[in-house]
Amino acid sequence: MQPATPSRPLSRSLVVFILLAVLLAVFPSLFPAGFFLWLWDRLNVFAVVFLGIFIEAVPYLLLGTLASGLVEVFFDQSQMSQWISKRPIAAAVGGALMGLVFPVCECGVVPLTRRLFNKGLPLSAGISFLLAAPVLNPIVILSTAAAFGWGQMLLWRLGVSLTIAVTVGLIFSVEKDPSNILRPVLTLAHDHHHEAPAALTGKFRQALLIAADEFFEMGRYLIIGAMLAAALQTFIPQASLLAIGGGPVLSVLVMLALAVILSICSTVDAFVALGFLGSFSFGSVLSFLVFGPMVDIKSVIMYLQVFRRKPVAYLAAIPFMMSLLAGALFNYLQP
Amino acid sequence: MPKRLYRSFQALLLLGMSVFLGAKAASGQLTFYINQRFIPLTIFGVISLALLAQTVFSEIKRSREREEHDCDDCGHAPAASNLWFMLVPLLIGVLIPARPLDSSALTSKGFNASAPIVSADSSALLFETESEERNILDWLKLFNYERDVTKFYGQRASVIGFVYFDEALGENQFLLSRFVVSCCAADAFALGMVVEWEEAASLEQDSWALVKGAVYSTTLNGQVVPLIEAESVQIVPVPEQPYLFP
Repeated sequence: MQPATPSRPLSRSLVVFILLAVLLAVFPSLFPAGFFLWLWDRLNVFAVVFLGIFIEAVPYLLLGTLASGLVEVFFDQSQMSQWISKRPIAAAVGGALMGLVFPVCECGVVPLTRRLFNKGLPLSAGISFLLAAPVLNPIVILSTAAAFGWGQMLLWRLGVSLTIAVTVGLIFSVEKDPSNILRPVLTLAHDHHHEAPAALTGKFRQALLIAADEFFEMGRYLIIGAMLAAALQTFIPQASLLAIGGGPVLSVLVMLALAVILSICSTVDAFVALGFLGSFSFGSVLSFLVFGPMVDIKSVIMYLQVFRRKPVAYLAAIPFMMSLLAGALFNYLQP
Repeated sequence: MPKRLYRSFQALLLLGMSVFLGAKAASGQLTFYINQRFIPLTIFGVISLALLAQTVFSEIKRSREREEHDCDDCGHAPAASNLWFMLVPLLIGVLIPARPLDSSALTSKGFNASAPIVSADSSALLFETESEERNILDWLKLFNYERDVTKFYGQRASVIGFVYFDEALGENQFLLSRFVVSCCAADAFALGMVVEWEEAASLEQDSWALVKGAVYSTTLNGQVVPLIEAESVQIVPVPEQPYLFP
């Protein structure tokens, strides 16, 4: 099974090594003296921001992979077809509301959705679950209420998210062949040659093993996404983005861009959004709260693990347009 | 990579990640990265990672015991590159010394002299606090909340922050700043109070200082911001929690 990798000839790696050494020796003299100090400072900011996103997200990713492991072990396909309606609209709405049962954020929802697809969940239900669950779940509802109170912002956040998720779910339900949308699942067949353990402890052990594997598989994309987000934050001055500010459409665009760059977990983004309410309108902040959990750098990279490229483009573009529309509409109606 | 080798590395990395997060929590450095309110979540992460490591270790042991069915080749191991990615946060965390955000982050993070994070009810409570117990965020909230800031004039302030020299400031002035973190370092932004002090020029950028004096106001970039006429400026060590949490 294991293809033998041809070992690289020693001489070639030696040449590469010498070239690198020479480059390293010449490199410093090419830059002004302050450059490396500046770079070191930037690196520090990068490290703090990267670890901030990563440490914040790890517990949620673990929750998602644990849920996925439990689903794999304790659910079987016949149950799935019993619970989920075959009609696209009912399936999409049902999928969007499933987050109330599986409290996951946008890091945890990706492995869980993939697992549910594997268990025979229809496309429309899975897509709307993927987009809605990071908002329509008890933890996020509570944290949004903690930041904004039980009022308009919470209500509209839930309503607009539900609408977008169901719409995108319905659009995807047109595709009858899931294999055009989903990437083939290769690594999911862990230990398939073992008989499923009947005892409860054995089942739990199995679930934990699946969670451990998935933590690495999805963690990889979380790490890439967090690095990208941290790099963008380190080198793009946020102040200049915020300074673009005004205008009913432009301010929504700024908030949407910020949602993508910040890449913060949906369970905590309400506290961040609260900070923008002083300088941004209700509609713009709402669009941040709706769009951020669906699409940001790390979630898009994780989506690419589950879906083919083109569907991922749709998954990002449709929520983007609808959030923009919703935000701009609010800005015009109640400036 | 043979499955058992994969499992061994996996278990070690899970354990390493658990120990890494646990050590950050134990040393108090976790608040360099995230808001303190999420520390319990990280503790949950430390425990689950240890549990996962333990499960994988015992799986290795089990597979060794039933050697005959579980040849190394027939188990389909996931891509080994998954493992190496998990090294990235560990390496960054270990190799780059932990240092909270400071003035070097201001160029990209931006500076905010007015606190947008004003929730009205907490501001109302703030009026009852002792003026010397308010931190920089509290003062800015008050100044944002109250239209007539003259009512604060002459109140005594005693605040800690790091020194930042801004071009918009006058001579003998500096900003005493803190980063405010709502969730994690990714959303940090800086706040500051203007301090007027005769020997301001003797201070170094980024040094932490305790400033005591009377509060007045000034305008900075078109905004009314609090100003402290310093009576004493004392250099202090970096506080245990360098950020403020709203």
